[in-house]
Amino acid sequence: MKETLQKFFKIDRRWIFLLLAVTLVVPIVKPIGLPNKSISQATTRVYESLEKLPAGSFLLLSLDYDPSTRPELHPMAMALVRHAFSRNLRVGVVTYIAGSTGLIEELFAKVGKEYNKKDGTDYVILPYQPNILAVMTQMSSDLYGIYSKDRNGTDIAGMPVLKGVKTYKDMSLVVCVTGTAILDYWVAYVGDKYSVPVAGGVTAISQPGYGPYLQTNQLKGLIGGMKGAAEYESLIKQPGKGTSGIDALNLAHLLVLILILTSNIILLFVKYF
Amino acid sequence: MKLIKKQIPLAIVFVTGVLTLISYYVPHKVSVDYIETLNKWENIVVAFAFLLGLISLFFSHYNKIARKGDGWGYSIFVFIGFLAIIIPAYVSGGKQMVEGVLTPLGWSYKYIYTALSGTMFAVLAFYIVSTAYRSFRIKSPQAFVLFVAAFILILGKVPLGQIIWDSALGWTGQSVSAVIEWIMQVPAVAGKRGIMIGISIGAIVTSLKIIFGIEKQYMGKD
Repeated sequence: MKETLQKFFKIDRRWIFLLLAVTLVVPIVKPIGLPNKSISQATTRVYESLEKLPAGSFLLLSLDYDPSTRPELHPMAMALVRHAFSRNLRVGVVTYIAGSTGLIEELFAKVGKEYNKKDGTDYVILPYQPNILAVMTQMSSDLYGIYSKDRNGTDIAGMPVLKGVKTYKDMSLVVCVTGTAILDYWVAYVGDKYSVPVAGGVTAISQPGYGPYLQTNQLKGLIGGMKGAAEYESLIKQPGKGTSGIDALNLAHLLVLILILTSNIILLFVKYF
Repeated sequence: MKLIKKQIPLAIVFVTGVLTLISYYVPHKVSVDYIETLNKWENIVVAFAFLLGLISLFFSHYNKIARKGDGWGYSIFVFIGFLAIIIPAYVSGGKQMVEGVLTPLGWSYKYIYTALSGTMFAVLAFYIVSTAYRSFRIKSPQAFVLFVAAFILILGKVPLGQIIWDSALGWTGQSVSAVIEWIMQVPAVAGKRGIMIGISIGAIVTSLKIIFGIEKQYMGKD
């Protein structure tokens, strides 16, 4: 009996891979449609931060994620842009991750069209910059000192979307969506130093690390992982990829728990019986 | 020789470090102008660092191919990948989309870079699940605490887990969201804050050591 059970520990990992693949593919192909029962306070705080901004306010989005974290972060970025456009906010986009430029283009081509928003009038996408701290510091004194053109090489001076916007003082909110530590930089080098409200959207794995910033209100709110994206989508009443991906996430999480429990129950049995 | 290789670099680091540190706390036009100039210099240096990195990468992989070292075939893909992005980027003038239509660069980004990057990251999920089954053993009280916390967090992070919790433990009157909120707000924040304070003190001490020339490893061995 023990020998048979011990065989389970040495199971070929490809069986586990297959099990996970089935667990992920089935709900994607045929969604179960499980209800999202609760909306976290941190996500609600981001929603409320945007909601209370008057129309025409300038929102700076720092979209710093690449295709590796796309499933978690792209849906929340999309929901944020939809929310901003529905509230008629002006949106500026910066990025410090070279791999994110294509995703930003895709996002604004889609959502801009949905809300009939125009590049240069309602939003501006600034080009990728490699040196985060230099750019963040520079934007505190003069945005145009570091960004003179948008990502297509058009002069940004005189763009209607940037009318009256020169430094952080002219921005109503900064939201950073990232799978890296760039949100920490926004909090430490911009939020705290220049008293700019900063909110964020991060991957589920890095979400617990931002607890201290949320507690001290250094972060106005935080959207965490695909569940956070699904929550935000339900807050703006526009279900998207976050909501549809939550089924696969549900089952995959449960599979992990079941596997850990199974292996430990077998271990106990082998050890004590 | 010592002057050029040691004393002048140390003096540059000291002066730049002290001035930058002071500028952070002094909101005067002179300090703002200084920081602006420094930012521009930094960007130029970073651009050259990128170029240097690229040349170094190419040399390293070229040598591997020339020597036919272990796995030299993979090195060919470094050049293929580079060309697959740089040629379309040149042809498209750096634009990924024009009037809602993908340019060659946009195509390469979407169908090569996005696909490869997503695949690489997705493979991790398979290894994590496999490792969770094969390696997560509750052999000590600490491992048990870690397991219980992870169990509750994983369960509470997905709607299906919340449904299971409500049907099995709903009689306790505590929702899984409330339990998670407590874990995240109390023990997790306490631990994270301790780590952050430790890291920050370490970073301040290391920075001061570099500025005052106590730490000189960045200058190399000579």
